[in-house]
Parts: sequence; structure tokens; C-alpha cells
Amino acid sequence: MTTSLQGLLAGWITGQRWFAGKGRAIDDLSIDSEIEIAAGDPALLHLIVCVRQGERRTRYQIPVGLREHLPDRLGHVLIGTCRRDGREVNVYDALHDSALTGHLLEGMAGDRRFDGLGFHPAHGAEIDTSQRSLVLTAEQSNTSLVYGDKYIFKLFRQLNPGVNPELEIITALADAGSAHVAKPYGWIETELQGEPTTLAIMQEYLQNANEGWSMALTSVRDLYACLEGMPAEDAGGDFAAEARRLGLATAQVHRELAEAFPTGTIEPPEIKRMTERFRRRLDKAVAEVPRLGERADVAADAFDRLSDLGHEIPVQRVHGDYHLGQVMRTMTDWVVLDFEGEPGQPLAERRALDSPLRDVAGMLRSFDYAARHLLAGHPNAEGLESRAREWSERNRAAFLAGYSEGGGRIRGDDAVLLRALELSKAVYEVVYEARNRPSWLPIPLAAFR
Amino acid sequence: MSSTTPQPSHTQPSHTTPVPNTFTEEEPRDKYWYKRAVFYEVLIRGFADSNGDGTGDIRGLIDKLDYLQWLGIDCLWLLPLYESPLKDGGYDISDYMKILPDFGDLGDFIRLVDEAHKRGIRVIADLVMNHTSDQHPWFQASRNDPEGPYGDFYVWSDTDERYKDARIIFIDTEASNWTYDPVRGQYYWHRFFHHQPDLNFENPAVQDAMLEVIRFWLDLGIDGFRLDAIPYLFEQEDTNCENLPATHAYLKRVRAEVDRLYPDRVLLAEANQWPADVVEYFGDPVTGGDECHMAFHFPLMPRIFMAVRRESRYPISEILAQTPKIPENCQWGIFLRNHDELTLEMVTDEERDYMYSEYAKDPRMRANVGIRRRLATLLDNDRNQIELFTALLLSLPGSPVMYYGDEIGMGDNIWLGDRDGVRTPMQWTPDRNAGFSSCDPGRLYLPVIMDPIYGYQAINVEAQQKSASSLLHFTKRMIEIRKRHPVFGLGEFTELNSSNPSVLAFVRELGDDRVLCVNNLSRFPQPVELDLRRFEGSTPVECMGGVPFPPIGELPYLLTLPGHGFYWFTLPVTHRTAGTKEE
Repeated sequence: MTTSLQGLLAGWITGQRWFAGKGRAIDDLSIDSEIEIAAGDPALLHLIVCVRQGERRTRYQIPVGLREHLPDRLGHVLIGTCRRDGREVNVYDALHDSALTGHLLEGMAGDRRFDGLGFHPAHGAEIDTSQRSLVLTAEQSNTSLVYGDKYIFKLFRQLNPGVNPELEIITALADAGSAHVAKPYGWIETELQGEPTTLAIMQEYLQNANEGWSMALTSVRDLYACLEGMPAEDAGGDFAAEARRLGLATAQVHRELAEAFPTGTIEPPEIKRMTERFRRRLDKAVAEVPRLGERADVAADAFDRLSDLGHEIPVQRVHGDYHLGQVMRTMTDWVVLDFEGEPGQPLAERRALDSPLRDVAGMLRSFDYAARHLLAGHPNAEGLESRAREWSERNRAAFLAGYSEGGGRIRGDDAVLLRALELSKAVYEVVYEARNRPSWLPIPLAAFR
Repeated sequence: MSSTTPQPSHTQPSHTTPVPNTFTEEEPRDKYWYKRAVFYEVLIRGFADSNGDGTGDIRGLIDKLDYLQWLGIDCLWLLPLYESPLKDGGYDISDYMKILPDFGDLGDFIRLVDEAHKRGIRVIADLVMNHTSDQHPWFQASRNDPEGPYGDFYVWSDTDERYKDARIIFIDTEASNWTYDPVRGQYYWHRFFHHQPDLNFENPAVQDAMLEVIRFWLDLGIDGFRLDAIPYLFEQEDTNCENLPATHAYLKRVRAEVDRLYPDRVLLAEANQWPADVVEYFGDPVTGGDECHMAFHFPLMPRIFMAVRRESRYPISEILAQTPKIPENCQWGIFLRNHDELTLEMVTDEERDYMYSEYAKDPRMRANVGIRRRLATLLDNDRNQIELFTALLLSLPGSPVMYYGDEIGMGDNIWLGDRDGVRTPMQWTPDRNAGFSSCDPGRLYLPVIMDPIYGYQAINVEAQQKSASSLLHFTKRMIEIRKRHPVFGLGEFTELNSSNPSVLAFVRELGDDRVLCVNNLSRFPQPVELDLRRFEGSTPVECMGGVPFPPIGELPYLLTLPGHGFYWFTLPVTHRTAGTKEE
């Protein structure tokens, strides 16, 4: 028995990690575009499908492979079989088939066009098309391939019209010679509702690099295991020198963003409106998480002080979702990843100008998370509380020192803004943890001091 | 590559083959033995005393050659054994052509070389070219007779204002690089202690005299020299007087003379500089290297310590990434500890503070710009860490240089002056004087270690030889494995992408000989995913036990390591049969 391609996809898509409409029935799945990138067997088809769930329509991108005989190694990504051109073929997720993903590389290297799909190499990039790909573990909103140990290729699964901010930013910063972004190699785009829309980006794969988060946790774990009474600066795994370097890198990236993109200011009335939003969010959070109530004054005071700030705040393009998981330590320096902003938000919002201190606040919160997240469920959580605080304070201070040293602006009233931004972020975290990971709730609650 | 470049030969007889006798050979000998050798630094004074005078000697060392052969050592490195007033551990030579009487005589030395060669062990010794003792007849002649044949053998000056840009190396004890000599009425130049005047290499007679010294020892059968303090041979105004072109030119001359007469000997440079400067001492890469065959890699050692304390591979990864390629016939010498302090010159100020606070909590443990401890004491006698460090020493690029006593985990005595704390007698047995000497304990040149943890009754060769699980047997096994795989000495080094910042993983490759080394620098168990696609289809075989691990596929290769654990795997080349794989 054969099903239509649409039918196969509708059955398969709900099980994918990147499918955003989980838990609701699919009313309809239609294929908006179907473009053949490689013919023959195996063949590579590029599909954009539109999934309707009630009023909501969401577009997804699905490159599929077609083979008459499916080798065992691709069995786990089979979507199903259907009849095409008079024969029965296996349809499967093409990104797992390195025999097909080479076409994507060749397309970008050759600046090629397949109907509505434009493949482009980045400015001045030479692409080595001999690299074989491997799928990295799936993420929430995209699928990433690593080609050899050279390139990382990120294909956005859910599509919204517009140029992806990440492509825009890494291209601009790389052209300006930034040492803190992964070099872009190419991208794929199409037109969606009349707007050029980024489908995929390929960047330099940071060989032998590690996430800041795992490095920070290594340091925290080491401190927890040290003999009692040893100060954090004497612990073997001290992270402060790295935190300082990260601060330097962050300041430099902010300066580069300010030079490459428009900047502006927020006037006091707008600051007051922003503060109002912070307050409303705080009130809602207190209503939902009563434990926050006894500490809410701390945040309310910080917001009041921001509200009273009588002068404008400089704004610019920022990272938008900055934390230790977004930075990689390479052999030489820190590199910042994922300038996408928060993937769930509309593109206009992700591109909006903001205070660079929003990123700084995000990173400060991240240090706090790193220091405390091993405490959740730890038998000696209380005993280690002071160590967690010590680690967090030491590394936050080192990060800020590096940020100032690198030319980042934190002086005078900036501290007022930074504190308000950090607490506003913590309010969001309180609600998130209360809903999703109650045992982690003490982490953001500790910020209200 | 030029066709005249000599190629290292990769098929060598095993180490137990005697080294052909130096005096009669015409047959070709292995010119590149030093690239695969395991070196062992030994203090004659501290190793074994044959005549019961409380001081180790050459005959005592000869008696212990069987032990060193059993351990798997390829080459002994002897500290200075020349006549000397011993104000600087023998680095103040008063006669280059005589053996220090405490150690024996030239006859003993010739027998040492002979007996060592019979056991497949080579012998190199320290040679100090830069300076002599102020007791040396050259200096005495120079100060007394400025117009005589030795008048210009040293660097004399009417003022102490010259060469201001040269740093003072022994900042703890010396105020200036110039000292006034009341006999001659002039200042003399010294980069080290004031009782060690620098020779004047601008003088051709000095250059020739030093070549004469070198030929003398090579004729006696010595297999090479570790050249002490070579960056400082020449001086020049407005420079830091280190690594000057004239110094390199003279080293080329020394090398040419060695190659002409003794083609299989080795020159090992002690240049405590950054790798980028040290590579200059290998000479011209086009020739495969025409200065020193080997040079010590100084910055690596403190960074290994730092990496393990920080539980992060970055200190090691960074320094190896910054290490330039060396000429084809050259080799790094790498070490964990030696007779000097743990040298901290090659680290940044921030790192130096860190190392001080980590490893030298008692100010007595510090010396000059370093820390004086042995491997075991630096690592709090943690067996797992000692094993991890040994594994790193034997697998990172370069020829390993072990320090006597570290193979059994000997301790140190921080209450002894200067650098003597790490130069105490070798601990052979639980008997009197640790089996080192039959003299009255009070007569020993330094007391043996007696504390309950590191004392000779707990830590000695005899006890460890009897216990298969001892550190000594572990070290011996690791050396054996290293020697089975020439790749450790000759292969390319490639660090692997590691998903875990605490795990240092790398591959050594030499044709089909491939070894994967994975090291957990953290005290906690760690997982790591390695991208081994390049070796897809190969079945890793663990080197200690020979256990095959799951074959390498397309997906990241998952390993779990215990705290401070490590693995060495061979990666046998698989010859795929056609048609077994689809496509």
C-alpha cells in the first residue's frame, strides 16, 4: 500500500525534535515547493512544506533523499515508501546521507541556482567540496551537519520570511576582520512571501573548541571538591582568567557590532515604558511563584532606580541570547556563536537594537547558573552554598573587569541599567524553572539579594 | 626534499642490541637513535657509591647499569663530571680534561661507556661551554697576565656599564653581570654566578680550545653532550646578549666538526627560551638541521602541571599549537622534572603566581624563578596523577628525559640548601643509607630521605621490583610499550577535537603505526566523544592489556575515563575487502 508524499511527511514530521506544533493534530500538510537538486538514484529533493494546525500555519524545510534500495545505515531515517515516476522509492531524511549532502557543498562552492534556491559562497571563501558530512545531534529549531572537520552547516527547519540575523552579523563581522566569530563559508536562500529568506548557513567548524559552559562547570566541580577553607582563587580549576578573557572578547564583539550596524539611543520616556514592562512581568511572576514574593522588593527597587534614570541609553545590535553555552573557547581565544537572537521570536524583534548590557546581564546570569546548578539535589547543597557564591562573584567580577578593560561601557549609571536587566532576566528564569525544573528554582531565586 | 637529505631509518634493532664499539667501527651506526630514545638523567654523586666514601661514583653507576637496562633506558645523561671546586654543582669547571676525583678517573669513564654500550645504552654528559670556574687555569692566567696567551680568554672591561640590556639570571644571589677583579684591575663578565666568568668566544683561540675539549671526549667514546647555557656564548651591545647570530655560527662550526668525525653523536641544547627561539638552535631546516640535534622544550613542562591542576587541556594544547615545526632530523627533549627547579621562566606572570600558589605553599620550596620539588611530591604522592604524567611524558612529541628516582616516586627534602633538595641519594633498598653507600650515615654527601611517606624504607627499588603493581613496574611497562612503537618518537602529532575540555586526546602517526592517546586531566571520571572518522573501520587495541575496543564507525567514538585516567590505543590499519560495504 502506498501513501502520498504529503501523507508520509505528515506522519513523520510530528516525531521530529524541531517540529514546533507538538501535541496538536495536523489538519493539513501541503508542499509549497519541491525542487530537485540532484536526479538519479539516490536523488535529492528540496521541499518546503506548510503545516496547518487550526489557525496556525508553519513552514518547514525538509531535504529528502530518494532511493530504490535503502542501505541499512539509513534505515533509522526512513520516512516511508511511495510511488514516484512509476516506481516504488524509499523517501528519507537526506541530511543523514553523506552521498547526498555533498551536493549542498558543491552548490555553494559553485554559486549555483536550482529554480528558486540560490546557493552562495561567502565573500572570498574557498570551499573544499571533498569533505564528508555527519549530522550533529539534533537541536530545537535546526539541523546541523559537520563536513569533515572544516565546516558546520546549519539548516533552519522552521522558516520565517527574512534574512537570518546570524548570517547578517557573522558576514559583517567577518568582513571587518573580527577574531571572535566563526568565519562564514556560504549560505542557501530562497524567496518567501516576496522576501529573501535564509535557509541554511555554513561556517568554519571550530576544531578542538569547547563550550564555555562545560569549562565553567569543570571549574565549579573542582572547587566543590577542594578541601574546606580553600579560597576560590587558590583552587586548581580557577576559571577567572578565562572569564576575564571572555569579557575582553565580549567588549570587542560589541564594539564591532556598533561599527558594522546602525546604533541609536533610548530616551527616558521609553526607559520608563521598559521599566513598566519589567514591573508587570515581576508582578505576574510573584503571582505564579509565591516564593519570589519575599524577595520581589529587590527587583522592584532596581526597576525604580532605572525608571528614575534621567538620561538616554545607547543601543545597538547585540547578541540577544548571550550565555556560556553560546561561546566557544578555541585554542587561541573565545568565539561567539549563534547571533540568531531567540529563535522563537519574530525576526524584526530579533534584529531590534538593544543595550549591549543586555548581553552582559545574560552572561552574568549564566555564571550564577554555572556556580549553582550542580547544587540541585546535591547532598551538601547548603554547605556548598558559600562556595557557589564565591565562585560566581569571583568570575562575574573577572568577566566585568575584562569587559571594561576591553572598552565595554560600564560606568556610573550603567550599573543601574545592568542590575535591572539582570534581575529582569532572573524574573523570567524564576517563572521558567518553576514551570519546568522546580529543583532548579533556587538558582534564579538566589539572584534576588 | 633534497636527495642529499639523510633519511631517518625506521627499522631499528631493539634496544638490547649493544651499541657497536666506538673505537673500531666502520660499519654504519644508527645516526638518529636519539629520536626514539628514552633518556635518564643521573647524578653520579647521588646514584651509587662503590667505595664507601659517602659520594656516588662512576664505578657505582657501572654496577647499576643492569638495572637501567632492565628499566629500558636508552641513554644516560650525566651531570658535569669534570674537575671542579663544586661551587655550582660542577657547572663551574676547573679542568675540562679531568674527571672529578670524587667520581673516579678517565679509566673508569671509559669502562662506563664500554659497559653501557654492551647493554645498548648510550652516554651523554653535560658540557658547559659558556663559562668556567674562576679556579680554571685559563682564568688564573688571564687575570695574572693580561698580555699572555690567555689574556683575552675572558670578557674583561674597564667599566661595568657594558651590555646593560642583558638580564641577571640568578636574581636571588647576583647584583650585576659584572664583577671587579682586584688582581687584574678590571671587571669580568658572568651571566651566572660571579665565580663563573664567561669565556670570550670572540677570541678564535677560545673557539679552538672548546673544539679540542669536545674532540677529547668524543674520542673517549661519549655519545654526545647536553650543552649547558648555550644562548649566552657571545655578547653584543644593545642586545639582551642571548641567541646572537655569532652564537649560532659557532654552534654550526661545532656541529660540522662533530659530523665530520663522529656522525652518530648528539648535541642537546639547553636553551631556556620560547620554542620559537629555541628552534633556531636546530639550525637550517633545509639541511635537516645543522646546529643541535636536540633541544629541551621548556614551556611544555610547567603547562602539563597547570593543565592537570586546572583540569583543562588548554595550557598543553596552546603551547603545542605554538610550537613550530622542527627540522627533519631534529627532536625535542621533554621532561617532567630534572635536577633544577621547576622552571617558571617560560610562563606568564599570571601563570607564575598561579604555579607558586599551587605547588609551593612553603617559600622554601621556591628557588630563583622556579619551584624545587620532585614529581611525586609536586603531585601529593597521588599514584593516579604520577601515572598520568608519566603517560604524557612518554607520548607527547619529543624524546622523554626521566629524572633518576622519579621512576619509584622518590621524595625531596626542602630543608636542604639551594637545589640539593631534589639531589638526595637514590633509594635502592630498605637497608642502611638506602643501599646507596656503606659509609657511616653522617658521611653521606646529603642525607637520604627518611620521612614516613617518601623515606627509603617505604620507597626503594628493591621493594618495587618485587611488587608487580609498583610504580617502578608501571614505568617499565610504559617504556616497553613506547619502544614497541617507534611512532612515539618519530610520528606526527595531531591533537583531536575533543568534546570535553578536561580530556586531551591526540594521535601519533607514522605510516601504518598509529597510536591514539586519550588523557583525562580531571580528578573526576569523564566521558569524551572523539571524531575518529579518519580511522573508520579500525579496531582500537588498548596497549597495556591488548584488549580490542569497539570498531570505529562514522559516529563520534565514545570513551569514558576514570579520574586522571588515560588510554593508549593502537589503531591497526584495516584493509577493506571489496564489496563488503555498500556503494
